[in-house]
Amino acid sequence: MSTDNLIERLAGDLKPVRPRAPVLEAGLLALVCAIELVGFLAIGMARPDLAEAVRQPVLWWKFGALGLLALLGFATALRSFSPQGSARAGLTAILALAVVSLILGWAFDTTNRQTADLLTRLDPPDGLNCLAWVLGLSLPPLMLLGMLMRRAAATDPQRSAAAVGLGSAAWAALVFVFACPHDDPLYVVFWYALACSAIGLATYLILPRLTRW
Amino acid sequence: MSPPDRDSRKATLPPERDFSTLMAASMGGDAAAYKLLLGEVRVWLQRYYARRLPPAIVEDAVQDALIAVHDKRHTYDLDRPFGPWLAAIARYKWIDRLRALKRMAAEPLGEGHATGDHESAVVSATILEELLASLKPAQSEVIRLVKLYGFSVEEAAAHTGQSVSLVKVNIHRGLARLTLAVQRQAHVDG
Repeated sequence: MSTDNLIERLAGDLKPVRPRAPVLEAGLLALVCAIELVGFLAIGMARPDLAEAVRQPVLWWKFGALGLLALLGFATALRSFSPQGSARAGLTAILALAVVSLILGWAFDTTNRQTADLLTRLDPPDGLNCLAWVLGLSLPPLMLLGMLMRRAAATDPQRSAAAVGLGSAAWAALVFVFACPHDDPLYVVFWYALACSAIGLATYLILPRLTRW
Repeated sequence: MSPPDRDSRKATLPPERDFSTLMAASMGGDAAAYKLLLGEVRVWLQRYYARRLPPAIVEDAVQDALIAVHDKRHTYDLDRPFGPWLAAIARYKWIDRLRALKRMAAEPLGEGHATGDHESAVVSATILEELLASLKPAQSEVIRLVKLYGFSVEEAAAHTGQSVSLVKVNIHRGLARLTLAVQRQAHVDG
């Protein structure tokens, strides 16, 4: 087909379109996340000692770090879905925040004297359970962001996908904090970081193939 | 936002006010404005890709980018300039095209590989272009894509909008016509 014919055909196919609205997309994402959190708590998943646990700084370290990571990941992803947007600065900020969170976790770990051995502290059966939960809980925001990315026009799909994966994984981990009875910083850093990294990597590898345009 | 690459800064972007207005009208469904806009965008894209791609695939890249502009027009933010938006799409499609070119197997030249005279290749390419121009556009287009650029039949079908079976038929008939034309020419020359 000649380019002239193509232009004729595209002009002939023209229909009015509504411009992409990132604020609306953010609202939709917030709604999905809120429904997920409420649903998770409504089925009785919250740890029994939650009222006591909120007095411990470790819990607020978990909430704060994961909440900020999720927020940064979501904002970076939504911003990068525009052809002119880039996820580069956002991902750098996420990396910096993750490092700061790990240092804080290490600081908590040194202040709490632990006598148990490493394997007991890591508690692999519970850790694997945590991995599975975080993976499952990450799916609703991940699928929504995947659909939004497919509809939009990300010009750096690998980085956008990484932001989608890390944001969704951090959110999922944040929701799981309400249920997780482990407050040992080593356990949290190891299993939560593993879950977030695995989801981020899988999304980085898979999502760009599904959102090609 | 990532900084534009050096090459895209060099390319002259369309005047913002006119193109933003045309794009706004196009998003509202104004086909005349859209046609005008695509015509101007086409000129800019031709210049953009002519500096970055082999001449044989410039027009294909332009068409790819025009389709992308059409499919993704809802991502244009009416409050922002049109040029950077278009440049971002053109650059994305350019990188896509470079990846496709990289996938096509290319024989690396050896150390002692002498570079031959290009005259016969140039003459052959010119004759081939003339022969292809004698075919129906649908036939020449799929022969170019599949036989010259190395796309699969399925990719050619997706690119041209023809069905897979029609692509095969057009390649077969087109090659038959080319053979006939070459034989006739040989008969006249002989």
